[in-house]
Amino acid sequence: MNKFLGNKTAILLFTLPTIVLFTIIVMWPTMQVFYRSMFDWDGLSAGKFIFLDNYKRLFEDRLFYTSLKNGIIFAIMLAVLQIGIGTVLALTISNKKIRGRKFLRVSYFIPVVLSVTVVCQLWLAMYNGEYGLINKIFETLGIPYRQDWLSNGKTAIYAVAAVNAWQNMGYHFALLLAAANSIPEQYLEAAKIDGAEKWKAHWKVTIPLMAETYKFCFVLAITGGLNAFANMQIMTGGGPGTDTYTLTYMMYRSAFRVGEFGYGTTAAAFLVIQCLIVTFAINKLIARDRIVY
Amino acid sequence: MKKMKKALSLGLVLSLTMALAACGSNKGNEAESSSSNAQEGKTKLRIYAQYSDEDTKGYYDYAVAELAKEMPNVQLDLEIQAQDDGQKLKTYAATGNLPDVFNTALDQINVFRQSNNILELDEYVDKLGFKDKMQPSALNTLYTDDNHVYAFPYAGNEMILLYYNKELFEQNGVKVPTTFEEMKAAIETFKAKGITPLSIFAKEKWPDVAFYDMFATRYNPAGISALDKGEAKPSDEAYVKAAQDIIDLVKAGMLPKGVTNLNYDQAAALFHEGKAAMFVNGQWEIEASTKALGDKVGYMYYPATDAATYESGKMAFSGGGNPGGYAVSANTKDKELATKVASFMALKYAEFKYTQKGSPIVSTKVDKPVVKAFDPMMEQLAKDLPNITSTTAFAWGLSNTKFKAAIEDASQALLSGSYTAEQFVSDLESAMK
Repeated sequence: MNKFLGNKTAILLFTLPTIVLFTIIVMWPTMQVFYRSMFDWDGLSAGKFIFLDNYKRLFEDRLFYTSLKNGIIFAIMLAVLQIGIGTVLALTISNKKIRGRKFLRVSYFIPVVLSVTVVCQLWLAMYNGEYGLINKIFETLGIPYRQDWLSNGKTAIYAVAAVNAWQNMGYHFALLLAAANSIPEQYLEAAKIDGAEKWKAHWKVTIPLMAETYKFCFVLAITGGLNAFANMQIMTGGGPGTDTYTLTYMMYRSAFRVGEFGYGTTAAAFLVIQCLIVTFAINKLIARDRIVY
Repeated sequence: MKKMKKALSLGLVLSLTMALAACGSNKGNEAESSSSNAQEGKTKLRIYAQYSDEDTKGYYDYAVAELAKEMPNVQLDLEIQAQDDGQKLKTYAATGNLPDVFNTALDQINVFRQSNNILELDEYVDKLGFKDKMQPSALNTLYTDDNHVYAFPYAGNEMILLYYNKELFEQNGVKVPTTFEEMKAAIETFKAKGITPLSIFAKEKWPDVAFYDMFATRYNPAGISALDKGEAKPSDEAYVKAAQDIIDLVKAGMLPKGVTNLNYDQAAALFHEGKAAMFVNGQWEIEASTKALGDKVGYMYYPATDAATYESGKMAFSGGGNPGGYAVSANTKDKELATKVASFMALKYAEFKYTQKGSPIVSTKVDKPVVKAFDPMMEQLAKDLPNITSTTAFAWGLSNTKFKAAIEDASQALLSGSYTAEQFVSDLESAMK
């Protein structure tokens, strides 16, 4: 092993294809984003260099703050719902005494493999203000809490985020289940012998030992929330008005509807930085040391 | 087990390779067929046109059939137009891949003329005598604000109409509203009977803009086009009042639930099935509405604050024409030919609309006999046309893209019921800075 790692030419040779691909597909466009964000550019003609003016404008733009707020709401919803419910489900399914584990495991994962368009159409029907299932349930239960879910500026972003949370919850569930199953049983047995209740044992033993998976899940959920686009594009078109805009949606609007590619990439550049900071912070806060059994 | 996996993956790889090879050979075939066409002396032109539903297919197929008679040596390669604010077209332009002839709207013309992607057609308009073929009242659809021609128009000056179901109004004893007070009374009666007062496909944002414009034109006949050109400010009384009027009516329950998520099919179904009393759409809706409701459907003049303003502003319509239609790429090989085809397509589109779609609202003169007679509503509109005092613009005819995006979002928000007139004004102002 050591001999192999000592052979720098071999390392270079084997990593080169990936490095080249990664540079062309990821690094180069990302750099372009930062470079182009300093231009007044319509995407077709040669742009005019305006240095940081786009950023100045971004921080004065009300739409930016709406988008930022919605991105954060989306990220928090995803993190709480997906990881919270995912954990409960994963821990339940990891219990070997539960009946129908296989069936449940597959069912929870089904939404993940569905296309986002299918899921959005399904929920559009359920959210429908007149005939939607959700309002019908409230009606049947006699609760006067019927809502115009997607056409009300105050509820729309939560309604849209809930759909994404529901769809991708299964993914987090699968990751967490794998993590829970990989924990050696002695730890839980030891906790049992010490007199810990089932959930207490999970709280004190299983969950802390799953920290590395949590780290990954949080990065996925939060950056996924900040990046959200497809759900609002299909379900609300950013509406009503601008109530379900996120930074990605704002970028889309600036570039394709207004024709200001330069300003659009400024929003994108901010988004990249935001996601990097969040990823960095999560890596700093959770599971700083590798867990080895 | 392992062996089986290996065999399976090998099979997968093989089938993928085959599929790829198949794609490759397909391309080869295409190339061959195009060269054989060239041998027959046919010139291929790429055209970007609407071809996604019965309506738009009718136009294109008619024009292509006519083209085959007139210019048999031209073969058109259709690229179907996407409903995407011109993104596909702009991407084509950015990659130097713009079709020879393309259907376009004003905001794309504005972008392309700055980036030199679109051919200026002035000399060809003279050469082809296109100007003489224009309806004098539709010359505004030929020239852009710099007095040049970039596209051969066909659509004419279209209008926004407020359709209503006469039978529902009669059955419920509701007077066709002329003022906002009467409108409110109508809303209350219809709501009490479980009928949706007004249906609009507010998921697409342009009807929202048109709806706002209907109210704005009651105070300022230039409506949103004055804002677009910078001749008025969103904080002007006319525009604040218009926003407030809509908010009041929405609060009174004018719209169906979830209105900002209704697409055309859903919103039109409400009206066509007699579940909604009023409906907002362009005059092109006349055909579909008459088909669904027969002589029960009509259009009313937009209500206003009081009877006097209603009377005086009756003929100030929302909507209108703008430069757009078939344009030619600046990089096409044979400019003469492409221009000839573009102008021919535009003329045939107008001809089809006039003779077979039952609509006199076109840009160019048509001298062919009418196949499908005008619907009664169209007869009425044809009588109104000469008396129209002013028109404005549809959302796609606005030239200031910042304003366009902002008014689209803001007027949709107006319909959501959780938005104030102050927010409306400040959102517009902040976006236009």
